[in-house]
Amino acid sequence: MALLERAEWYDIARSTNWTATYVSDADLFPDVMTGAQGVPAEAWEVYDEPYKTSYPEYVAIQREKDAGAYSVKAALQRSRIFEDADPGWRSILKSHYGAIALGEYAAMSAEARMTRFGRAPGMRNMATFGMMDENRHAQLQLFFPHEYCPKDRQFDWGHKAYHTNEWAAIAARHAFDDLFMARSATEIAVMLTFAFETGFTNMQFLGLAADAAEAGDYTFASLISSIQTDESRHAQIGGPALQVLIANGRKAEAQKLVDIAIARAWRIFCILTGPSMDYNTPREHRKQSFKEFMLEWIAGQFERALIDLGLDLPWYWEKMIAEFDYQHHAYQMGLWFWRPTLWWNPAAGVTPECREWLEEKYPGWNATFGKAWDVIIDNLVQGKVERTLPETLPIVCNMSQIPICAIPGYGWNVKDWPLEYEGRVYHFNSEIDRWVFEQEPERYRGHMTLVDRFLAGHILPPDLGGALAYMSLQPGEMGDDAHGYAWVDAYRELRRAAE
Amino acid sequence: MALFPVISNFQHDFVLLLLPVDTENTMDEVAAAAAHHSVGTRVAPQPDKIVRVRRQGAGDFFPRDVRLGETDVRPMETLEFIFCDA
Ligand SMILES: [Fe+2]
Ligand SMILES: [Fe+2]
Repeated sequence: MALLERAEWYDIARSTNWTATYVSDADLFPDVMTGAQGVPAEAWEVYDEPYKTSYPEYVAIQREKDAGAYSVKAALQRSRIFEDADPGWRSILKSHYGAIALGEYAAMSAEARMTRFGRAPGMRNMATFGMMDENRHAQLQLFFPHEYCPKDRQFDWGHKAYHTNEWAAIAARHAFDDLFMARSATEIAVMLTFAFETGFTNMQFLGLAADAAEAGDYTFASLISSIQTDESRHAQIGGPALQVLIANGRKAEAQKLVDIAIARAWRIFCILTGPSMDYNTPREHRKQSFKEFMLEWIAGQFERALIDLGLDLPWYWEKMIAEFDYQHHAYQMGLWFWRPTLWWNPAAGVTPECREWLEEKYPGWNATFGKAWDVIIDNLVQGKVERTLPETLPIVCNMSQIPICAIPGYGWNVKDWPLEYEGRVYHFNSEIDRWVFEQEPERYRGHMTLVDRFLAGHILPPDLGGALAYMSLQPGEMGDDAHGYAWVDAYRELRRAAE
Repeated sequence: MALFPVISNFQHDFVLLLLPVDTENTMDEVAAAAAHHSVGTRVAPQPDKIVRVRRQGAGDFFPRDVRLGETDVRPMETLEFIFCDA
């Protein structure tokens, strides 16, 4: 039997809008679920997905991709890459799997919402494949770390993290609930697929793939590159949805959704990808600095994508780009200093050679972040490890759920951005985080940060031990310096030589 | 006597910290409590200086001997701790 070319039947086959007779259109597609903002069904008919595929084609391609990722894994199973890898690299794997794997399930639910409530047939069709993509991502990224569990208990957090009140897990859930789970189909198209995926997944999935290949971890490199090929396909759901909104007089609404999503995505990738690229990846395996990567992908490519669609740059664009210079350095210091609260062992990444690299990539690093690290290093050299461990909680941003931090030392610019709303004072890391809250305070007002919970007596006993128990961090799981402080020896030598 | 949590924003440190102090504490005592978490941990000591306390963004410091409970500082307000000449 001769088969028609896809192009000859695709448009008819996916034209699945019909006129409901048993229920009203508003019951079938409630605005609260579609997020169509009153743009009528006919106006959505022009939605034209740039990437077209059929189910048989999809299955054939995905099968090949899976075969590729699994065969690389199988071929390298008996290699000693895992054992021989730098401990900083293993920490990247742990933070990645814990923060991402179950987030993929959240993304699957979001794609499913577009599959059911997308107002355009083409959106529903693409989202069906997107939903299956995200299921694949969740399963792959749970299966791959699973084999490491017997070797290293922290890998259990690939699955465990989202089921706990560990602070980074709260931060991830808060952002993903906001952008993926608790949004309408149209909002998901704009916030998840356009802003989050087109804009930011490249950071973690392309940036780290390059570093992984350099570090010799071909299993991880092939896994996340394989995932990114799905992302770059279903990320295209958002563009045509934005075109429909803009063409129907909803540009301001669309712009606001984009601005909120970029602000939230930036925080997540800043703390996840930033320290991974500039600190945990061994210096000799770094392809680019995080800032260089951000400038290329966000200030370059994504900025053009925004303009091409007819959107404006978010009002905070210059402020965000200014943060490329420092925010992830501050997050790194927080991650390392509060290391017992992590499910991975952060690498300090501040050997004398690392600091040369940091100073070259971020001029002024030594006079700012370096000053604070100097004090930490002095304590380590003198054997006073207890002075490098947390004794109190950092204040956590009421939007990002990440500690409020910025530049120490001579460039000191740390600042609270408070807001009083309905008698409660909220604290934010920046004007941008506070602005997100102000766009829809009813949405965010009830959430309690880890510090709010501590002060409300939810964490008992009210000390570090109680906080670690609250976060479900068992002995053998809580983080410590990735290299067991071996890197401090270089400073001991330097001090001795100076004497 | 009442537990009174404030937020410490200590000069040259990188992060805001939860600082549990007491309404009976003088500003010098509050400053000492804040210094415990920052100075010698991530901030280099400046032995010839004292640490003064002010509201975030304020120009004036609180008098050194005023008790927290005597001021209009609210719980969980952000205070700045600044090195000053003695
Ligand atoms: Fe995904
Ligand atoms: Fe995705």
